[in-house]
Amino acid sequence: MSALYKFAHMSDIHLGAFPDPMIRDLEKQALDESVKKCIELKVDFVLISGDIFHVGIPDLSVVNDSIRIFRKLQHASIPIYAIYGSHDYTPNGTSIIDILETAGILTNVMKARTDEEGYIVLDFFTDPKTGAKLTGISARRIGLESKFYEKLDKKRLEYEKGFKIFAFHSGITELKPAFLSEMETVPISNFPKGFDYYAGGHIHKKDEFELPGYPKVVFPGPLFTGYGKDIEETARGVDRGFFVVSFDEKLEHVEFVIIKGFDGDFFEYDATSKNSHQAMREISQKLDQLEVNGKVVIVRLKGELSGGKTSDIDFIELRRKLVGRGAVYIQFNRFSLRTKEYEGNRVAGEDVQAIEATLFRENIGSVKVTQPNLKGKEGTESAVELLRNLRQQLKIGETKTDYGKRIVASGIETLKLKQEFKDE
Amino acid sequence: MSKNELEIVGQVIGGNVGSIAIREKNGKNIELGDLLVAEENEGGYLILKVFNLGYGSQIPTEVRELAAGLKLEGYSAGLDFMDPKLRNYTMASVKGVLRVNKDSLKIPKVLPTFFSSVRLATKEDLEFLATPPKYPIYLGKVRSGSKVLDIDVHLDGESFLTHHVLIAATTGRGKSNLVKVLLWSALDARKFGIFVIDAHDEYYGRNGIGLKEHPNARGSLRYYSPDAPAGANTLVINLKALEPEHFDGIVSFTDAQEDAISAYHKKFNETWIEKVVHGETIEGVKDVTLRVLQRKFKRMLGVYEQAGELICDSDVFSLTAGASTVDDIVRALERCQIVVVDTSRLGEEAELLIGSIVASKIFYNYKKTKGKGALDEKPPVGIVIEEAPRVLAQDKIEQGDNIYSRIAREGRKFKVGLIAITQLASVIPTTVLTNMNTKIILGNEMASERSAIINSAAQDLSDEDRTIASLDKGEAIVSSIFAKFAIPIYTPLFEEVVAKRRQNSKDDGFDLSKSKLLLK
Amino acid sequence: MSLEAAKKAVEFLENNIFYGEIGNPHFGASGVITFPLTSEGFEPISEKHSKRKMAFVDGGNHEVLGAPNFSIQLNRVYSSAWNGRNRVEWKLPRVEFFSSTYSRFKNGEIYYESTVMASDNDSDNYLPDAPDLCFSSVDRSLMNGNQRADIERVGSVARRFAEWRLALKAIDYLSAGDILVMDGTLQSNFTNEGKYAKALTSAAKTRGIILTGLSKTSTLFTTTGLSLLGAVNELADQGKVKGVWYYPVAESHSIDHDVVISVARLNPIADRVFRVEFQRDEYEQLGKAGVEEIFSQLCQNSCDASFPGYPYGLIDADRFARVPYDEIEYYRGLIISHISKLGKSSKFLSHIHSGDAHNILNLLVK
Repeated sequence: MSALYKFAHMSDIHLGAFPDPMIRDLEKQALDESVKKCIELKVDFVLISGDIFHVGIPDLSVVNDSIRIFRKLQHASIPIYAIYGSHDYTPNGTSIIDILETAGILTNVMKARTDEEGYIVLDFFTDPKTGAKLTGISARRIGLESKFYEKLDKKRLEYEKGFKIFAFHSGITELKPAFLSEMETVPISNFPKGFDYYAGGHIHKKDEFELPGYPKVVFPGPLFTGYGKDIEETARGVDRGFFVVSFDEKLEHVEFVIIKGFDGDFFEYDATSKNSHQAMREISQKLDQLEVNGKVVIVRLKGELSGGKTSDIDFIELRRKLVGRGAVYIQFNRFSLRTKEYEGNRVAGEDVQAIEATLFRENIGSVKVTQPNLKGKEGTESAVELLRNLRQQLKIGETKTDYGKRIVASGIETLKLKQEFKDE
Repeated sequence: MSKNELEIVGQVIGGNVGSIAIREKNGKNIELGDLLVAEENEGGYLILKVFNLGYGSQIPTEVRELAAGLKLEGYSAGLDFMDPKLRNYTMASVKGVLRVNKDSLKIPKVLPTFFSSVRLATKEDLEFLATPPKYPIYLGKVRSGSKVLDIDVHLDGESFLTHHVLIAATTGRGKSNLVKVLLWSALDARKFGIFVIDAHDEYYGRNGIGLKEHPNARGSLRYYSPDAPAGANTLVINLKALEPEHFDGIVSFTDAQEDAISAYHKKFNETWIEKVVHGETIEGVKDVTLRVLQRKFKRMLGVYEQAGELICDSDVFSLTAGASTVDDIVRALERCQIVVVDTSRLGEEAELLIGSIVASKIFYNYKKTKGKGALDEKPPVGIVIEEAPRVLAQDKIEQGDNIYSRIAREGRKFKVGLIAITQLASVIPTTVLTNMNTKIILGNEMASERSAIINSAAQDLSDEDRTIASLDKGEAIVSSIFAKFAIPIYTPLFEEVVAKRRQNSKDDGFDLSKSKLLLK
Repeated sequence: MSLEAAKKAVEFLENNIFYGEIGNPHFGASGVITFPLTSEGFEPISEKHSKRKMAFVDGGNHEVLGAPNFSIQLNRVYSSAWNGRNRVEWKLPRVEFFSSTYSRFKNGEIYYESTVMASDNDSDNYLPDAPDLCFSSVDRSLMNGNQRADIERVGSVARRFAEWRLALKAIDYLSAGDILVMDGTLQSNFTNEGKYAKALTSAAKTRGIILTGLSKTSTLFTTTGLSLLGAVNELADQGKVKGVWYYPVAESHSIDHDVVISVARLNPIADRVFRVEFQRDEYEQLGKAGVEEIFSQLCQNSCDASFPGYPYGLIDADRFARVPYDEIEYYRGLIISHISKLGKSSKFLSHIHSGDAHNILNLLVK
């Protein structure tokens, strides 16, 4: 049975996450294909639940390419609705999403205000064509999420009639996957009940749930391949894409549309009890067996070498051979590979972000500070965010002075030192 | 009269170490459970506890009976007993509980001076109780009879929790109030994790005053319920979290069924239940056994197959959601949080199963941590289980060990303890009861129950039978190896504890006028 | 067989005790005027409000160690004071003393000579004079029939004299109009007793204290051979005399016993009546109203449920004046120990054994 309306629900596109031009290109293609599918399927609107870009102010070339693609939806009279994701913020306020909204490329559906009593009111945005009522909550800064939900006037949202969609960009405690058990999340009870569809983002794993009071909670997962560890999952064959949701007065059907960003190969090698030369030989042999032409190749190495150093493994040579055989992108993940002689502070982790978070968490207790926001869990999160801000590159056309000021401003924002630097 | 003379309530007139006889001064109304003090030389004193009261009379029994008969039948013609204060009086039987000298507290081995006066114990006499231990858990105030003295009773949380606690009470004696006050105190300390299986949804305060009122609740209290209020966690557990041993002692299976379960788990690991329900056959497991298991899982877990698809319509268990619930709970406990799980809407099996899953996880985690030599870094964890005989009764343990009985036996080594609440201590084996080194005894009218508790107490309570029978709501006796004597306490109403805290503290609540800041 | 004999014994009494006329009081002594026993002779006692205090005096004694030729006795005398049902503050101590009596041959006869020693300092002021406790063993006031008086009897006398003396001291703590109740009669029965009794009656008269005596037992009879107290009680039942009452039965006009004797029921449900004596001149001075007031006070004090109709003050005095057997054992032990220390055990024992054969027999049959 065909329902009257449809919309596409996607999230965590993370455009610009990979600096490698080949991956960028694949990413662009995946976005383009997604948009084409949306037009083909005649969706009435597209809803993006955050993290369109990987950073708040990405490379302009990435922005330029994405706008070109998004414009196709505009030309097809398919509006884009969105909320901010955790990566969409900039410390000093204005991000690329704001610019896209100003330019009319998309509409931010989080319309929040406070009422006379100080409660937070979310106003609905009504899609003119379908009458669907959208609202949502963008990703919040660290520590503010639970307070926000506490003060949210949920009853008002629950009483609203019509087909309602609630967009959000956070993990839900009851629904997070086991491998993300340590992630900061929001209990589902904080969400207003009775919406027809809960459009999630932030969780990089496709999933659908039904809970009492929450008939459909959906996480599409990354549209392309996210960032960090996500590329391994994609290379292993995990489906990426977006959901197409059919509805009338009620939700009718939910279907996942696969977007094949790339073909990939994933190979994990355990170097335990092997020396570096053995490891090099075996990795090379294994890679020789793979059909890598046109593929993204991800190699994860783990274990403790019984002899030699990790630098004995000639990754440049391995890479060269793979490129020579047609691999479009190669990544060697060596974070879990150790040598016996190394006595430094080694931390095992799935990816850079996880390792950084673990290091901060384990060592924050040894830093003597008095400000509460620099201690414990909040301190760890501040440290992670600060490091992420400090990683921001110099933008094209940006002077070093401006770059310096921007970085300093972001640091002040992250460390909540605005008051102290007010007069400077 | 001197101050001391005014305070005098009686005089030692005989008896022996097991029962010292004290004649009550007329009008002083010595009560069962009263703490009395007999001064000794050189500033020391004996603390005595009243365990029995009786009548003493200079008038022979038959004369009293006759006089009563005359009065009752209307023949008394103004007859009464003259000199009533001298001739009829109350005799108190007391026992020494503590001998206090300026630098020592000892179990008394002497009698008070013959014919010495005794007075009621005052706050100053019990000042040694006022010094709180390192990580205090508050239980109430010292009680002398029905009088409440202004001395707080604390036990050291770390020792108290890991050495197990038994709270013995019949209905309506204030057990829930006591547990709430105890948990409130744990929220203050933030040094222990406590997992509470809340069978009556009475601790969190969903519909009234509860633990959620605590200033530390935001960071140190987690509440799980199938129907969670805003801000709380929905209780949902993924079926993949269930392992065969979680059913031990809670659900009975035949040998064939147990073998089948082991086989499925070995082959399919975390998806073993799904495979059973799906009907996927494996070698060695009979069809009939599989069918029975499917029926049992449908009943217990709400999971079944319909038209080739797995359905789970349980309030709590899920095929998709709740993948990290158990890990979240365990992590919260390890972060010294109180985790309250509302099982009021669940059947008994589901309730015990959930407790079993979490208790197993924390127990084995801690066991592993001890193996790595890092147990010192972990906080102690207590597990509150109501109607403890469901898992600790003799017949239950005989059917098969379960995680609770395991913790009761071994938990101390791994800093995991039980806080077992029961009306029926008599059905719990003595070996388990004796391991529960703190017993908080509330009123109990059943003689067999009092006997079971008394026989396993940390102090000699053999004479406290009547005292225990007369305990009123809110009154208790704390018998613990960590206390110098069996301390009579009164636990204030939880609502009063909360009100007092509100008076004393600044408002920690979020100022609604700052809501706008959240919009940024 | 024994049942038959018992029945016959009862029938003998039944046939011979006279149940017809009550008769009139019979005293046998000269100087006593008796009053007829009629149903009109009962004087009701109505409740009167009175501020008169009542002091009660009683004593007790028991032999600690004895032989035919010596006796050591422990004596106690006690008093307490009341106003109606309420005990009032009373500063007189309990008097306790030992009396030690021995026999000696003098003037052709055996005489008993004694000394007294107080147990504590307080008791010293209340002891009888030792010379007053020297008696001939054939003194009629001590003898029982024609037998020489037992040396043990001297103890009773010492106690009696001490009661008088304590009563005399009690007067100092009473006010005019207050009542002093002696346990027993106001009659001097023993040689030398008159001195003590006279001192008391004289002091009471001077101070305006009403002196009474209340006896719990009586061996008085009527002219029909009935016990006087029983006859008066029966007369009350026959005449359906309810409530509390007194019945003046006689006046004694002798020098050492100048009293009005009444029989009184002091509680409505009491089944016992007691002999109550007043000094005759006081009785007359008090008049009917005053006498009734005294009796009313006694009635108010006779409401104890343990012994309705008997003044509680005397129950109390009896309790504290009593010398219980286990105390005697204790003192006996002390004394025997001291005798032994003196190395005189065999000397004392040979005399003790001459009189204690019945004790041995008692042991044999237990």
